Amino acid sequence: MINRLRSVLRVIAGSFTMQAKERATNQFFVGTLLVLPIIFTLLSVGTYLYGGKGNFGLYAVIGAGMMGVWNANLWTSGRIVEGERRGGTLSMLIASPTPFPIILVGKSLSNAFASLISLVVTFATGLIAFRLELDIANPAAFIVSLLLTLISMTCFGLVLGSTFVLTRNAGDFMEAANYPIFILSGLMFPLTILPAWLRPLSSILAPTWGNLALGASAGLVADNPWLIDLYLIGLSLAYLMIAQTLFKKVEYLVRRDGSMEVF
Amino acid sequence: MTAIKIENLGRIFSTTTGTIRRTRKDITALENINLVVEPGELFGLLGPNGAGKTTLTRILSTVLLPSSGRAEVLGMDVVRDTKKLRPRIGMVFGGERGLYWRLSGRDNIQYFADLYLVPPEVSRKRIPELLDLVGLTERADERVEGYSRGMKQKLHIARGLVNDPDVLFLDEPTIGLDPIAARELRAVILEMNKRGKTIFLTSHYMYEVDELCQRVAVVNKGKIALIDTPSAFKTMVADLEVVEIECREVSPEALARLRAHPRVASVTMENHEGAQSLQIQSPGGVESIPEFVRILEGSQVQKVITRQPTLEDAYVKLLGREALNS
Repeated sequence: MINRLRSVLRVIAGSFTMQAKERATNQFFVGTLLVLPIIFTLLSVGTYLYGGKGNFGLYAVIGAGMMGVWNANLWTSGRIVEGERRGGTLSMLIASPTPFPIILVGKSLSNAFASLISLVVTFATGLIAFRLELDIANPAAFIVSLLLTLISMTCFGLVLGSTFVLTRNAGDFMEAANYPIFILSGLMFPLTILPAWLRPLSSILAPTWGNLALGASAGLVADNPWLIDLYLIGLSLAYLMIAQTLFKKVEYLVRRDGSMEVF
Repeated sequence: MTAIKIENLGRIFSTTTGTIRRTRKDITALENINLVVEPGELFGLLGPNGAGKTTLTRILSTVLLPSSGRAEVLGMDVVRDTKKLRPRIGMVFGGERGLYWRLSGRDNIQYFADLYLVPPEVSRKRIPELLDLVGLTERADERVEGYSRGMKQKLHIARGLVNDPDVLFLDEPTIGLDPIAARELRAVILEMNKRGKTIFLTSHYMYEVDELCQRVAVVNKGKIALIDTPSAFKTMVADLEVVEIECREVSPEALARLRAHPRVASVTMENHEGAQSLQIQSPGGVESIPEFVRILEGSQVQKVITRQPTLEDAYVKLLGREALNS
């Protein structure tokens, strides 16, 4: 059992490192981490300031930071699977003794932690460009919420990534899902603006609760951040179970249809 | 226990035609395949493009599911027992894909060592050995994108061996390689076989299969046409001699007359920069040369030689010249 766990952790660490090395050579990804968060922050904070809602500066910065984090995670679920398919490595990974979701965990976590850079850039932009006061009410809860947000978004990426093995247009799907996710998760404007019938959809998305947890830790909303963190843990476990079940079906389908190398 | 056992295996692919009105069409890639490969054997699967070689390799290496029949590798079912089977097999698909180009050769092998759950103390020793086996030690820490095609193919082999598999599937491993790189790779394949690995090799290079394999199966249009040793396979054409004639401007009429000649079993023609090379399989070929040359009158015959039939000649006789040209 311990040996098995060691092997799994080694695969996760190996995938994490391998993804980090690949990413370091990809100038576009580095650009995504550094440039996009600045644009998101300028857009979000600027919109709030122009609308006369200056006190929403921190909310806008957190939202923009989450957009950056989510954008970096896109690579996990969409571009990684698409890249593996194009590179001819997808079939090798799926035919290896390691279950594909475990491989994706390592790669996803690698991107998720790299996406922290986006958050730093976002805060720096808020401080420098808009001279915002970014006071965090509960720094300990903020750090824990941030970690749990990254983990739950990674797990959400696993669900998407497992499904994306089925399609050759994974990256395009993720690009198309970008702004709907921003809107549904309350990253661009508060969820209360959304029609009530859309809110159930928001409640199953990791970025929604990550954004809420960070907002609550920062003192922007009255909710208890620790309770939201608990929900994030539950959501992550649910995503993991869904990803595992889903992937068994997906693996059967790609082996049946011979679609692993079609791109 | 056999290394590979295939019983009545079939595989059908579905495809669609049309844009608005889509019509589904089934294509039979493999039909009723029966085959046994013994442990330690270097077995070759020979056939033209589209014959089903890659499909069979992918089924045996658990990447694809069969549509009918069953296959076992090392006594394990390739559909149901994947968890137990995958750590014990290796696969190498031809071509340049299947590697992480932005990583070094060593990183590529290390990553697959992790995926195949090779303990670190084992991989630390094994990876340098494999790099040495395929002759990549000096370039191991360079990015794969700077490797030549032959180096990438060697890296594929090293990657396929990282889990020390009992059975190795090699799908056209020398495709597109220059003669020297292909020869080096064949030496590596022979060395692996000497070390006790069962190797299932697909190729459409006859000389490669002739040089490497203890037994060969010829597959054509999804069916096995023959299973035998290369030397027994060649006895199919033992009564024939091959007359090679180099000439220019061979007319279709002359070619047709040659093919219709009672002492001609088959004729294949290759074009090389305006010149033609005719390969005539003929019983008692030497005595018939004057007649062949007479038929080719006006075709500027430049050179005539005779030689013993090769595996390629047996292949042509078995499948027809279309198979050779495909």
